[in-house]
Amino acid sequence: MAGTACFIIVSKNDIPIYEAEVGSAAKKEEASQQHQFILHAALDIVEDLAWTTNAMFLKAVDKFNDLSVSVYVTAGHTRFMLLHDSRNEDGIKSFFQEVQELYIKILLNPLYLPSARIASSHFDTKVRALARKYL
Amino acid sequence: MANYLAQFQAIKNTSDRLVVAVEDVSDLWPSVKEGLEKRLPLKKASLNNKTRNPVYVENLQAEFILTTDSRLRSRFPQEQYLFWFREPYATIVLVSCEDLDEFKTILKPRLKLIVQNEEREWFIVFVSKAHPNNDQATKNAKKVYARLEVDFNTRKRERCCKLDLNGVDASFWEDFDFKIVESIRNTLDRRAQFYEEEIRKMSEQRLMPVWNFCNFFILKESLAFMFEMAHLHEDSLREYDELELCYIETVSTPGKQRDFGGLEHGDDQAALLKPGFKPLSQIVQDDSFREFEFRQYLFARQVKLLFRLGRPLEVVMRGYSFIISFSKTLALHENTLPFCLREVWVISACLAIISSTSSTYDGLAAPDNEKEFYRLHGDLYSLCRIKFMRLAYLIGYGVEIEKSPVNSASLSMLPWPKPSIWPAVPEDASAKVLAKEKLILQANPRMKHFNIQRKQLPLEPSSLLREANRRRASLSVGNLSELIDYRQIDGSGIDGHQKFSPSTTNSMSRTYSGPNLESSLSLDRPMRISEVHVAAEHALENTVTDPDLLKSLSSLEEFEQKYMELTKGAADNYHHSWWKRHGVALDGEIAALCFKHGNYDLAAKSYEKVCALYAGEGWQDLLAEVLPNLAECQKILNDQAGYLSSCVRLLSLEDGLFLAKERQAFQLEVVRLAHSEMKHPVPLDVSSLITFSGNPGPPLQLCDGDPGTLPVTVWSGFPDDITLESLSLTLTNTLNTDEGVKTIKSSDAHILKPGRNVIKLDVPPQKPGSYVLGVLTGQIGNLRFRSHNFSKGGPQDNDDFMSYEKPTRPVLKVLKPRTLVDISAAVSSALLMNELQWLGLIVKPIDYSLKGSLLSIDTGPGLMIDESHTIDINEYAKTMEDKVHAHDSNTITENNTHPLEPKQLYIENGKIALPDWASDTSTTLWFPVHAIDDRMARAASAVSCADSPHRQNMVDGMRTIALKLEFGAFRNQIFERTIAVHFTDPFYVTTRVANKCNDGTLLLQATIHSQVKATLCLYDAWLDLQAGFVHVRKENGRPVSSFFPLVISPSSTAGILFSICIDNMAIAADQNEVVQAESILNVMYGISGDRSNGAHSPTSLKLGSSDKLFFKVAIALQRPILDPCIAVGFVPFSSNCLRVGQLINMKWRVERLKDLEASPSSSCKDEVLYEVDANPEIWMIAGRTMGHALLSNARGSRTEITVTCMPLVSGHVRPPQLGLPAMDDANISCNPPGPHLVCVLPPTLSSSYCIPA
Repeated sequence: MAGTACFIIVSKNDIPIYEAEVGSAAKKEEASQQHQFILHAALDIVEDLAWTTNAMFLKAVDKFNDLSVSVYVTAGHTRFMLLHDSRNEDGIKSFFQEVQELYIKILLNPLYLPSARIASSHFDTKVRALARKYL
Repeated sequence: MANYLAQFQAIKNTSDRLVVAVEDVSDLWPSVKEGLEKRLPLKKASLNNKTRNPVYVENLQAEFILTTDSRLRSRFPQEQYLFWFREPYATIVLVSCEDLDEFKTILKPRLKLIVQNEEREWFIVFVSKAHPNNDQATKNAKKVYARLEVDFNTRKRERCCKLDLNGVDASFWEDFDFKIVESIRNTLDRRAQFYEEEIRKMSEQRLMPVWNFCNFFILKESLAFMFEMAHLHEDSLREYDELELCYIETVSTPGKQRDFGGLEHGDDQAALLKPGFKPLSQIVQDDSFREFEFRQYLFARQVKLLFRLGRPLEVVMRGYSFIISFSKTLALHENTLPFCLREVWVISACLAIISSTSSTYDGLAAPDNEKEFYRLHGDLYSLCRIKFMRLAYLIGYGVEIEKSPVNSASLSMLPWPKPSIWPAVPEDASAKVLAKEKLILQANPRMKHFNIQRKQLPLEPSSLLREANRRRASLSVGNLSELIDYRQIDGSGIDGHQKFSPSTTNSMSRTYSGPNLESSLSLDRPMRISEVHVAAEHALENTVTDPDLLKSLSSLEEFEQKYMELTKGAADNYHHSWWKRHGVALDGEIAALCFKHGNYDLAAKSYEKVCALYAGEGWQDLLAEVLPNLAECQKILNDQAGYLSSCVRLLSLEDGLFLAKERQAFQLEVVRLAHSEMKHPVPLDVSSLITFSGNPGPPLQLCDGDPGTLPVTVWSGFPDDITLESLSLTLTNTLNTDEGVKTIKSSDAHILKPGRNVIKLDVPPQKPGSYVLGVLTGQIGNLRFRSHNFSKGGPQDNDDFMSYEKPTRPVLKVLKPRTLVDISAAVSSALLMNELQWLGLIVKPIDYSLKGSLLSIDTGPGLMIDESHTIDINEYAKTMEDKVHAHDSNTITENNTHPLEPKQLYIENGKIALPDWASDTSTTLWFPVHAIDDRMARAASAVSCADSPHRQNMVDGMRTIALKLEFGAFRNQIFERTIAVHFTDPFYVTTRVANKCNDGTLLLQATIHSQVKATLCLYDAWLDLQAGFVHVRKENGRPVSSFFPLVISPSSTAGILFSICIDNMAIAADQNEVVQAESILNVMYGISGDRSNGAHSPTSLKLGSSDKLFFKVAIALQRPILDPCIAVGFVPFSSNCLRVGQLINMKWRVERLKDLEASPSSSCKDEVLYEVDANPEIWMIAGRTMGHALLSNARGSRTEITVTCMPLVSGHVRPPQLGLPAMDDANISCNPPGPHLVCVLPPTLSSSYCIPA
């Protein structure tokens, strides 16, 4: 499992709808804000990149010293962004794909409004389990 | 071969263009030099590139050099071979000869000698000096030239051209250019081939020990240089790229330990754009070059070519990646390099690339490229900025750097420089140390507004103090304790860095107890942080040679200026490249610096940009960091509106982002401002903070005109209770948008608890429609706020959450106006006139409660309510039921009756309050009325054909009663109705003379028609006769035969016969008595009826008392006409038919039948008064309608009265009638009486103006 990893889902109108620190490293209070900042800035790059490729998995789009940002863009332009320090690209890809499955299930919930915050604790548990499995 | 490097460098510096050699055989150069050099540079040259594809080069620079020139002579063959690129690319042989023999014997062998060298590309220019007029000379020259062509031209190639000195042919120059280019091309091809071959050979030896990179470099660069001279920059660039690859490969081969370089003075400044920064010969090391210099050299060459190619974008792209990769390389060699050389180098490299490219960039590139260009500039700036901040931090400006996420993210993950030994404090630095300490102590970590206490973000990957001391590699336990002591004494001026925990102390003591522990104990005590800064500054001063950078680091002001410049550069470029997030984050940094310098205006503007982006995209964590800063700016600027809205935004951020205490502080600020005197009270949008929604469930339904109370759920996001001075809400009619919005207000002060509040608002009567909530407005102190956000409602798992962003649900429905109540008369048949009668009113609520309603009754003329009586009320349905079950009255169910219902009501001031039990059911109200009619009823004679007395009765008996019912919750609904009630006499009487006996007895029949829906019972009837009539046998006026009591069923008739006779004596006798003009029929009767059906016995009659009523009818009796004295006759019309609009004469003939006796009434005896009565709508009368006509008193006198009239309408109409008002009817005999109706035809069609064609 990665030391540092911050996973965030950004809706198509750029609003973060889910965030989780999934790294095994001890949580630092200030780190989450930094991570958010880095991920937010990486949206600039995703915006440029997303339209140049058919692939959903954009791999590592940005590097910040030792940390990289990997991005997965769904067909609905929801972006899964992962800030991580591991190099396991395949694992990240699998992680994203499985998270997308979960996300679709959330979307299918008639009580969930698209682009609203994902508050499902079930989703959260699952995502964390996936992170432990793949990252 | 490496020895040739210096020479190679010199050659490169001197030769920058292609050389064309001129072999001046016949001393012609001075005369043709000018013409030839005019052709340079060659306008257009078709050359082959390395892959043998033609390339068109424009303005190819070249130089003509005589072969006798020293530059071409005295070269050693090996030199020539090595630096072949500088050798002539073409040889022009200048020849002139006018004699064929001379040519054959002298010139030709000489030329053969010259051109025998196969490696040269040559051609012959034959110069003819012959004047065109000199035919002989011209001829000779031609001959010689022809000969020349034969000798030197081959089938493949023409090598001769002819230049006429007198009169140059234009085609010659084309030919000349072509030949030069051809030669150059061939030479170029051959040489390129040669070099490639050599390079290939050398490449094969790469893995052998004899491999020498310098040699390879010379060959490769020669080729590249040759291409560059030939303007084949693309090929040249490729050679350099290959060279770079090859070099990196060479360098990275393990084994040899090479010097890296970068230790010389000035090396800290990147030489990315200066290929000649250091002579190559200086950087040679063994068989290769020093990496530090050589890679920069290669990059500089590439950049030069890229600029020639006009590709600044590529320069930036390559530049950025080069800086990144080279920076990594520098990091590998950091322990040998001067302190922080890497950082300094990166700064200078970035700035160099930026300045060189931004000046050459013309901005006409494709949008994508432009974006990319600016983005890279932004990257370069921000890289430069980070390194600059790192240097500044090292020398102690860190306390002044904003600890924002941007800076923290950049710096806290950037490792410290790793010099082999951390710089030590210089000898005489105590003053500086003091200054630094002062700086540190003075730097007051800026308190965040609202007392927000946050752990400050780190700007360092690990504590600088620890890192520096660790790198000093000389920490001891004793020193450590000293260090701790120092920190304790020092307070926490440098706090925010770290605290030493015991565990780290132990580990450190283990780690740093090295072999030199003992020896360095006295020398190297651990440095204090100020000393670290001073040491770093001192070391940097040694490293940095760039005066600008030194200056920027010299003082805090200079640092901030440079920092601002770099931040602005980065932000601007990111904005240009549409990387708004990067740009805006840096805007925040600009704002922080502006704020620090007191430029609150600028700071606020920049902070607003940042906040707008974060808020727009909903990144609340980031917003929470910046928003307090913005609020503080606005507070300082006294921008109350902005400040308030910032406070509101702060409050509306997610709960977890601020402590409860902080949120309370925000609220306090809002409340404080709200209650302060604001010059310009500002409306405040609190949509994010106070949200509202209608109550769940069906909307409130109101009838038109009804007020109501609307409950509204208001969610307050304030952390504490907040008092609202007033609150109002707009309602929007969804059906009718033209109406605008209605505001409902609640002026009471409300206290909103945090979370959900239910507030009830009074709704005044609204127009019909369906209403949704619009805007919530209210007042906190002097502050007007508004919110137009529907509640997403507190906790997200709440049901209300679903209403978020759903189409707004109507909260109020006002129904269309409809009748809510109906009041009608209970009985349609007539009631008894002049008697006390029960009038029934059915009050029928239609799905609407009549609770508390008030009925006002206003009777019309001729009708009064007897207030002495109570009013009965009972259920209408029950009444009906009673009726149905009237026949078996024993079975009346008592279920429906309310045991306590008051059945009796009282009228007060003409108003009746309906009882509560009657609010939802239909009830019948019975109240006693009394209709008054003073006129006496008249009997109708069967003989007279006047208006029907019955009909007259109908109109006379109509009485109105105006009702007004006030009902509804606030008696706001009003129902008004006027009800007509029909009153009538119990019966009407017609009379006729049934028989006239011979003895003068008349049998008078009085027919009694019942007019009520009740059974009448006649108990007695008698007739008071008028003068002139007497009862037969002087009876008391009772009928002939007595059948009393006589019962008359409803709507039936009965007759009574009276026998009377004419009293002949009466006329004279009654002179002095009161003459009774009319006879009167007196009837004593009783009535038995039900009030729910119609007329009934008057209410005042109690059971058992005399229930006999008395009724009088006047009967007009006429004496028969016994002495007619005047006859009136109608003279027939002259024409058969009358037409509308036609004038006709109506004539009546009046004839006196007997002599008129003296009559007191008539003053003029010989004339008669007449009057014509006509309906003015039918007849237009011309002439007098009233007048006196002459008629003598003598019997038989007659006169005619003529009136001209015109019918106005067609149809059967009643003609004008002649009346004689002065005459008694009894004296007029109208026989015949004239037509009842005449026929009037429509007017004839007028065709006066219709002329047939």
